[in-house]
Amino acid sequence: MPGALPAPVVGRPALGRWVFLLVPLLVLPVPFFVNRYIQYVLNLILVYVLVGVGFNIVIGNLGQLAFANVALFGLGAYASGILVVHAGWPWWTTVIPAGLVGALAGALASLPALRRIRLFYLAIMTMAFGELMRWIYIRAEPLTNGSMGLAVPPPVLLGVRLSSDRSKFYVFLALAVLAVVLTSSLLRSRFGRAFMAIRDNELAAAAVGIPTDRYFILAFAWSGFVVGVGGAMYTALVGHVTPEAFNLLELILHFAVVMVGGLASLAGSVIGAVVLTTTPELFRGFPGVQELVLALLIVGVLLFLPRGLVSLLSLRLPLFRERYYRE
Amino acid sequence: MAFCHHTDEAINSAEVNMKTRTGFLTAVGLALLALALGAIPAGADSMQGITDTTIKIGNIGPYTGDASSYSALNYGPLAYFRYVNSQGGVHGRKFEIVAADDACKETTGIAAAKKLIHQDKVFMLLVQPCSGVAMATKPVVVEEGLPWIGVSANPKLTTPTVKNMFHVTYTGVYSGRAMARFALSKPNAKKVILVAHTNDWAKGYCDPATEYMKEHGVEPLMNLALERGSTDATAQSLRIKTANADFVLGCLYEAELAILLRDLHKYGVNVPVIGALGADFESTHKRVNNPAAVKNFYLPYQFKAPMGSPDMKKWEDMFVKFLEKGELPENGVPTNFYYFGLPTAIATVEAFKRAGPQPSREKFIAAMETFKDFDTGVLADKVNVTHDNHVGVQDMYAVGLNEQGKQTVYSAWGKPLL
Amino acid sequence: MLPQLVVSGLAQGVLYALVALSMTMVYRATTVVNFGHGDLVMGGAFVVYVLVVYAHLPYLLGGLLALTILFALGVGIHQGLMRRIMTGPHLAIAMMALAVGYGLRGGARVLWGREVLPFPRIFPDHAWMLGDVVVTSDNLIVSGTVLGLMAVLFVLFNVTRTGRLLQAVFQSQRGAALVGLNVDAVHRVMWGVGAALAALGGVLLAPITLLYPDMGVWVLVRGFAAMTLGGFGTLHGAVLGGLILGVVELVLGAYVSTAFIDISAYVVVIAVLLLRPDGLFGQQVVVRV
Repeated sequence: MPGALPAPVVGRPALGRWVFLLVPLLVLPVPFFVNRYIQYVLNLILVYVLVGVGFNIVIGNLGQLAFANVALFGLGAYASGILVVHAGWPWWTTVIPAGLVGALAGALASLPALRRIRLFYLAIMTMAFGELMRWIYIRAEPLTNGSMGLAVPPPVLLGVRLSSDRSKFYVFLALAVLAVVLTSSLLRSRFGRAFMAIRDNELAAAAVGIPTDRYFILAFAWSGFVVGVGGAMYTALVGHVTPEAFNLLELILHFAVVMVGGLASLAGSVIGAVVLTTTPELFRGFPGVQELVLALLIVGVLLFLPRGLVSLLSLRLPLFRERYYRE
Repeated sequence: MAFCHHTDEAINSAEVNMKTRTGFLTAVGLALLALALGAIPAGADSMQGITDTTIKIGNIGPYTGDASSYSALNYGPLAYFRYVNSQGGVHGRKFEIVAADDACKETTGIAAAKKLIHQDKVFMLLVQPCSGVAMATKPVVVEEGLPWIGVSANPKLTTPTVKNMFHVTYTGVYSGRAMARFALSKPNAKKVILVAHTNDWAKGYCDPATEYMKEHGVEPLMNLALERGSTDATAQSLRIKTANADFVLGCLYEAELAILLRDLHKYGVNVPVIGALGADFESTHKRVNNPAAVKNFYLPYQFKAPMGSPDMKKWEDMFVKFLEKGELPENGVPTNFYYFGLPTAIATVEAFKRAGPQPSREKFIAAMETFKDFDTGVLADKVNVTHDNHVGVQDMYAVGLNEQGKQTVYSAWGKPLL
Repeated sequence: MLPQLVVSGLAQGVLYALVALSMTMVYRATTVVNFGHGDLVMGGAFVVYVLVVYAHLPYLLGGLLALTILFALGVGIHQGLMRRIMTGPHLAIAMMALAVGYGLRGGARVLWGREVLPFPRIFPDHAWMLGDVVVTSDNLIVSGTVLGLMAVLFVLFNVTRTGRLLQAVFQSQRGAALVGLNVDAVHRVMWGVGAALAALGGVLLAPITLLYPDMGVWVLVRGFAAMTLGGFGTLHGAVLGGLILGVVELVLGAYVSTAFIDISAYVVVIAVLLLRPDGLFGQQVVVRV
């Protein structure tokens, strides 16, 4: 296969991953140098970091064609919005519940996989699940306000109103760092290694005693949790949750974040979120071409960088070589 | 398959995780510290976007994406501003229009609004056809306090009244009520059926229509769904036939409205149908392509005169003169969307005239609130805005074919205008 | 009311069947499920629009040209894009198909602008009453074309030598390659045929409904549901699945709620895959050695 990597270095220095925490530290002062438009785009990137990181667990690390991600994202967003609007909870207390709703839905989405539905069957079924959820958002009017969408007041964190994009940024950054660090730990644990064993050879994994069913549920649920939290962040950022925001186009975007960034790569998910969120903004001045640019970007990456944009870095910097995915 | 069959190697990561957590806690600590410092004053310049020679205005709309047909609403105003510029502008200032794409998507729309406000530094925002996006950007607009004149139909944008947001076109409430009023003006119309898409657009018309009927003691007989993209309305038509309805209200896009009319005719259901604002009368006719099927078809009509009459023709000439190739329709004359966006620009120019030679946000808003029986030259109703009411227009007509098959504007069932 | 619903449902169903059939053929030949298939339907509709409305060609000629152009496009997609990642993960293939469809949609918008395009009326507008049941000329022309095509395909597959070779590839790509068949050439042709059949869907739909760049999504979902219902990967299953879906949608719409018309395709997918993953007519493919 073109673009194959040399075998990754085994036993990278322990300090290695630590360096990545410099990234959030370096962006800390950024909000003081940008206008509110740029700030908003930065916040949006952070939302899509969670979307990408969560989605990557199921498609990259577990290797399943499960496309329920938009449903999980939407459920997280609605869970947060409904708790704020109808139950009067402060936004920050809805973050974990939104994650849990996402996790529950994720576990539910793993059911077909447990029934040995794989590949395109699973893809189509999970896509149908996403569209079914959209239909439910529209019909569950008392909770969701139907197709008109749910208007959610600006979030409040520990008594501080987070109406400015700058204050949201720090909360989102903390959540994104948390999601990346926890997911990294999970993927490096025996659980994560089991995911990849299942992906690479499910029969062999089962044969050596890995309880594959349990790991399927775990991977889907954690993925759902991360994406659900991303949904809660979406609600805080956008303040208006509508069913149309969670359609099939959104799925293409989520999928592209992972594939353009790099399948089974945490750094890739982050890069994908940055690239896919900023590209349409960069092409704002040329209305109409955004869709073509995005399509060309995806096609180009698939053809010439099959391991995603992250492979540009990992070919040069051993630090970016994650052991999660091998040719 | 690229998934190769390696077994994993053992990684002892306990120590690594420990260090990671320390680093993480540091990061969170710093983040919270920064958060504490993060409060920023929202000091906006009420003269933002105004120079001695220019006025910068943001024109938000779905220039791309699956709703891009609505961007015609953005091009009507653009033509008017170019026309005014060609006449020398207002108080020596010319209009500079900055377009921003919202793709009819919340996240993109908020980015568009923030870019216009904080990067392009416009004086005000105009048009914004997509209701969902307009609702999502409303908090931004309210917080920043810059004037907004939109065409999106959601009445919640301007009711209850918000200091800086205005409608000088019809909200869904009034066009929905106009549909119901026309239906109930038919003698003995009691059994009314609603056929609608299940989206916010259709709800924005059908809900106020239902409300109007209930106020007049008529309960809708049935609510039927006909989804976007349908190519068949058999189930709906047969249900309408079985129910023996007196009138059908179709909160439908043009394609599906045409399919409903076609199928109603096909199954021999002879019932009057009024569509919703947003479908175009003539292209619906072209679409159905069967005079017998549209004999009983009406649409709410928001303009002061029939299309093609001298009153409307002058606007068409303006569109053709001041818009460029990509801004006009690929084929045919400008559709009613071009006209429908126009009042936002006409009201803006008028308000700048009234606000005097040194305009500011406050003066502009105050000038808007002086509109009394202001004739836009486009709309059926005159614009009335007060400090407490920012919804400028209410009354509209209906359009249909008369006995001779001629396009006619009606004020009520059987009552042609002029 | 029921007979009418069945007749109209079948008339809708033949279009779903056509889409499902063309997707199934590509899938069986190449093991790729084309997530951009709906956009090829849209592509076919737009090409015939240009040929008929701008170039003033007769509808029949325009339709045939549209099929040819889309055939070339299908071959191009295979040669330029799919073939190069066929050995990669399935995810990359799925993403590629989605990206191609997304790009086609964007291209349609750039080339043909924002408007929803009306197509001139082509088919004569006749309606016949068979008892209480109304049958229109649209129904007959669309159903006739699709059923005729299916008959041709059936003969091709089961009687001719080419058809048997294709069936060999459907059964086992590696086996077919081992006995000396040019599997890559088969892939190429089947992508072309799949795209041309998708275009036929578009050509038939164009005079019946409005054209807009996003019409493909609606088509894709119906195609998936029909394929799943009939048993993923079987040709006759795809056809029957499409017909059943057409009727189910209308019957649910008339007797339960019109709200169910739009969602029945999704419910069908989920229910069938959970309860009977092989579909109604699916069967284990027997490999004869």
